[in-house]
Amino acid sequence: MVNNIGQLYTIEGVAAGVLMVFTAYLVINSTTVITPQDIHIIDLQLEQLGNDALSVLDTPNSSVLNPDPAENKSYLQRQIENDGGNAFGQNFSFLINSKVNPYESDNLNFNATIYYRDSATGQLRMEEFYQSANYYRENAVKVKRWVYVNPTGQNNPFGLEERDQVVLVEVLLWRG
Amino acid sequence: MARLNDEGQWIVMMGFIISISILILAIAVGESSLVGKTTSESVLEFSKCDIQDLRSEIMTLKERGILDNPEIKNDLSEISIQRVSAVTYFSSWKEYNYNYIFLHFNNGVTTYNEVYDEYTP
Repeated sequence: MVNNIGQLYTIEGVAAGVLMVFTAYLVINSTTVITPQDIHIIDLQLEQLGNDALSVLDTPNSSVLNPDPAENKSYLQRQIENDGGNAFGQNFSFLINSKVNPYESDNLNFNATIYYRDSATGQLRMEEFYQSANYYRENAVKVKRWVYVNPTGQNNPFGLEERDQVVLVEVLLWRG
Repeated sequence: MARLNDEGQWIVMMGFIISISILILAIAVGESSLVGKTTSESVLEFSKCDIQDLRSEIMTLKERGILDNPEIKNDLSEISIQRVSAVTYFSSWKEYNYNYIFLHFNNGVTTYNEVYDEYTP
């Protein structure tokens, strides 16, 4: 036999239950939302790190008035003009993977490419500079650096034109 | 029909107040995540490093005395349009004892113009 005693107690119980479950849901949900912002902060730091490393490598030891080519050219310029990408790859990798503890290293990877202009046709051309790993679909940032070069003589690993020119070194940088 | 017991109203009211204040705090915590996202996004969008890099390259060219080389001007503007997606332009001139360099950068969001001057006796 169904009777109508205790209806209000039942409604109050249901309302209290809904209120408690809803509050718990909001509290748990709003404290775990914090994680997505990290992606952008990591991108930001990665971009700054890559730009800093490139500008360290593109700073000459002394003024251009110094006659010694090892002093008046930046490291990056010497690599592009003479030595090719391997030494650059190791140096850049060391710079970006350094940590405070010298026995630890980070695991950042990068692809470096040189873009230059063919003055005869005006076309943009590219040469692979160094690849530390294959890039698939990781979350990556792109950093760039203008480099002045003037390749002469037989040591010209990327086959650039022998003239005063500015090339763009583009580095795709990712963690993994 | 059963009568409700009207004792313990204080306890019920405090329960409501506490749950509503937890709700408001939770909304505030949720908003804070948005702040970190928007600030880092706006920093990423601002082309600080591109401008610093262009400026430092032009200073290098100035020190080497090849700022007026037309091939270098073409290199910078062509590669910049295609790979940096920015319009860059620079020119230099001399007035009395000063060398001036005008430098322009525009990537559609940020525009940067500068006139650099240097005293040369």
